[in-house]
Amino acid sequence: MSRSAPYGFLAPAMVLFTATLALPILYSLYLSLRGVQVQGLGLGPGARQEVWVGLSNYRQSLSDPAFVHSVVRVVGYGVLLVPTMLGLALLFALLLDSRRSRGGGFARTAIFLPYAVPAVIASLLWGFLYLPDVSPVTDVLHGLGLPAPQLLSSRLVLFAVANIALWGGVGFNMVVLYTSLRAIPTELYEAARLDGAGEVSIAVRIKVPIVLPSLVMTLIFSLIATVQVFAEPTTLRPLTNNISTTWTPLMAVYRDAFTRDDIYSASATSVVIAAVTLVFSFGVLRAVGRRAFAER
Amino acid sequence: MGSNGGTGPTVATVTNSAKGYLVRRSTRLCLAVLLTALTLLAAGCGGGSADGPVKLTFWTWAPNMDKVVAVWNEKHPDIQVTVNKQDGGDPAVTKLLTAVKAGKGAPDIMQAEYQKIPTLVSAGALADISKDVPTSATGQFGTAELRAVDLGSKALYAVPQDTGPLAFFYRADVFQRLGIAVPTTWQQYAAAARQIHQADPTMYLGTFSANDAGWFAGLAQQAGASWWATKGQTWSVDIDSAATRKVADFWGGLVQEGVIDNKPMYTPAWNAALNDGKQVGWVSAVWAPGVLEGNAAKTKGLWQMAPLPQWGSTFTDGAWGGSATGVTTQSQHPEQAAQFATWLNTDPAALKALVSDAGIYPAAKSAQLTTPPAFFSNQSDFYEVAAKGRDAISPFTYGPNVNAAYNAYNDAFGQAADAKTQSAFGQALTQMQSTTLSNLKSSGFTTSQ
Amino acid sequence: MSAATSGARTVRTRDSRPSVLATALLMLGAVYCLVPVAWVLVAATKSGADLFSTFTFAPGTHLFANIADLSAYRGGLFWRWMLNTVLYAGVGAALSTLVSAMAGFGLAKYEFLGKSTFFNLILAGVLVPGVILAIPQYLLVARVGMADTYWSVLLPSIISPYGIYLARIYATASVPDELVEAARADGASEARLFVLVALPIMRSGLVTVFLFQFVGIWNNFMLPYIMLGSDRLFPVTVGLNGLLNQGATQPALYTLVITGALLSILPLVALFLLLQRFWQVDLAAGAVKA
Repeated sequence: MSRSAPYGFLAPAMVLFTATLALPILYSLYLSLRGVQVQGLGLGPGARQEVWVGLSNYRQSLSDPAFVHSVVRVVGYGVLLVPTMLGLALLFALLLDSRRSRGGGFARTAIFLPYAVPAVIASLLWGFLYLPDVSPVTDVLHGLGLPAPQLLSSRLVLFAVANIALWGGVGFNMVVLYTSLRAIPTELYEAARLDGAGEVSIAVRIKVPIVLPSLVMTLIFSLIATVQVFAEPTTLRPLTNNISTTWTPLMAVYRDAFTRDDIYSASATSVVIAAVTLVFSFGVLRAVGRRAFAER
Repeated sequence: MGSNGGTGPTVATVTNSAKGYLVRRSTRLCLAVLLTALTLLAAGCGGGSADGPVKLTFWTWAPNMDKVVAVWNEKHPDIQVTVNKQDGGDPAVTKLLTAVKAGKGAPDIMQAEYQKIPTLVSAGALADISKDVPTSATGQFGTAELRAVDLGSKALYAVPQDTGPLAFFYRADVFQRLGIAVPTTWQQYAAAARQIHQADPTMYLGTFSANDAGWFAGLAQQAGASWWATKGQTWSVDIDSAATRKVADFWGGLVQEGVIDNKPMYTPAWNAALNDGKQVGWVSAVWAPGVLEGNAAKTKGLWQMAPLPQWGSTFTDGAWGGSATGVTTQSQHPEQAAQFATWLNTDPAALKALVSDAGIYPAAKSAQLTTPPAFFSNQSDFYEVAAKGRDAISPFTYGPNVNAAYNAYNDAFGQAADAKTQSAFGQALTQMQSTTLSNLKSSGFTTSQ
Repeated sequence: MSAATSGARTVRTRDSRPSVLATALLMLGAVYCLVPVAWVLVAATKSGADLFSTFTFAPGTHLFANIADLSAYRGGLFWRWMLNTVLYAGVGAALSTLVSAMAGFGLAKYEFLGKSTFFNLILAGVLVPGVILAIPQYLLVARVGMADTYWSVLLPSIISPYGIYLARIYATASVPDELVEAARADGASEARLFVLVALPIMRSGLVTVFLFQFVGIWNNFMLPYIMLGSDRLFPVTVGLNGLLNQGATQPALYTLVITGALLSILPLVALFLLLQRFWQVDLAAGAVKA
């Protein structure tokens, strides 16, 4: 075996990783320390000059109240979404794995189906279902003599956005968990079953602890996705007064970069978000992960 | 995990023949897709010859612009223009600014809304084409439009294309049924709004849309506001002025009373309300018939257009929308591009095609407009009303950070509209002013105030 | 695929009678997931005028008229978008699977300097949001003159941290070291070994990598949105978004967008149904073994 062989296998990945991920990240770091100086009214040619500004972009982004609000909001969104999504995904996976449920094939496909719908299109569809004036929910509730809920009102809009992510994400996580459930050797709980243990107690006492590592991985991936929530609120924004253009941290980045044409502040904010995500997910992996993986 | 032969990805061998078949089949499918794709890619990479005609690209979002351009291409075999349809004014500007930063990728010719021109000029995106556009062409435009493309200097950054004078659109059948006269002042507008909402609590004369900063800017313009100003080498922001405050208070009052809706325009809900007669009026601009036709086809023949209600005795108007054709600094053929931009917006054949195919209300006063838009075929004086507005548009200066200001409008007035109080509208205006000013400063501009 | 059909689990006890509650819960989940899809199916059958004025779940008769309108839109541009999407997702996912398989195999079966550093770097790549990367990626791609080409979307789609991660798991778990050694003893080169021995064994897992990457690229919006200027290169997500956001002076083309949304989901639904059994991801297996 030649010593260069592993590098040969890794070369394409390394080259592409460097070109499409590492370089852009380094470039972002560079941009985050830069800024623009304008000469005069800034209307003549060459009136703009890029200059070093040190850490002032970081200071500005971290002290922007809109950004701070968006961080707080996303924490609330995560607390709402992640346990619900993973709880339902685990429930459905256990039900699919249980021998007492019927129609599993149909349910599995149906629940996984939303994964095929791009977030932009999913949000458009749900947007129609949320607006009382065009929603079938309104028609049904009016038929029952009930008032239609204002799902995009300031009180409920967080739930409305989380619901879209839930809808799109339950299926994927269910499949991940179901895959690990299927890999459990049946002997492990056949004995318990013969002892008269019910499906529920087998699920809680035997199955869940075994799939815990998978659950931790889905948790980490869900947390990363939570920090990056962007497409759903951006698509819903034009429908309501209650989603601002800096509703989530990534929306704030988008506003700076694309609306305000300030890639320098946007880069600084991005670096902060990426760093926090990194620390956060490695922290979770250490805290929860070690225990979960050690049990095996 | 993988200690048994479950169906997880840890499967070591593929024993199931059906599964193996599927895999083989999908491998073959992948290969087929790959081959087709490579052929497509190769086809897409073909370059043109060096000595052929001058090739220009044109970013525009106006519908059917390719048909208008076809007229040019037929007459000018040596200058061929290709249309790249854009998603709309904002995305097109975003892309152009990114391309300018990258130093590559910009088109030759660019449709730009008037309010975006200072932003584009300050980013070095638009070229000065004053020496390539004859004065016989610029003479066809009004002072408000010219001011927007020369930015008060001797340069010329674009050729005006269309203009969007504001007007009041209303359901004539509903007004007649309720015996309401068409409002000519804002006081009468408010009275009509009350009367309509009283007659039917689900019905509104209009809505205050926190999504449409351009709409609010047009209303402020009519009231005499001008949101930016220059003095020597410094910029100032004057959003929170008496004129704008008058407009904000007016709409805030109506929203607080509940006689004007507070939901944004251009939503499915708004479309439904236009269709089923819950929105019976719309303060909009001359291009409104196209939108109404697309969103509320069932109400054809029921709408009328009237001049915008007034604050005082002198007739003034504001604009919403309206754009110009510029030449980018990355163009290798600025002269030919300017020639095309001039032709597009002043040549009689081009203007005719712009009106009939692209549904545009041209800025050139030479444009012949007689037949009203199809959706308003019942209103023979449509273009007279439009021209009255166009000729009364008040001067207005846009600054280099319009996007930041409009964005601040979305956020601040979104909150105010949700709060439904007049005082919240006032606070929103204050907030919009301070956000815009501090953004201008932090963008590196010299500001006074 | 229900649990009952699995050959490995035929042991039956008295406690396998159907449970109404379990089945009902699953069906509730299925209904929740299907309602918006059903809505788009119904909405696509309505004319533009009916879309906003009739009961939401009352089907119309305009499905084929809507499809015809969409097909006629600017000379069949929609179908070009669909073709582009297939190209981006198909070619991107195929290349991505190959690159991931090579890297995964290299990481699983060799010891070399910088192995763990490289693997950790790749994993950290998951943490950087696409929105953040879009601008620097564009600026770099434009600098080498590739902005607004197929490559500008394809190249960044090839590298997939998830794919490399999964491929490493598959290679570790499914390619026996003895087999590798035996092939080497027979004088096979490392490249031959990979192509003729490892790839066939990893095949089923690699189909999963391909599928996930395919869906990932299919659903990606930000990258093509930033990279592409000419609408003839758009994928369907960016194209439909454009129809929806026409700016204030144009009506949004809701009927076309809804019909387009339906048509764009169909190929993926077909892919799901056809390749059901490959949708399996064991995220944690590798974490234990690595």
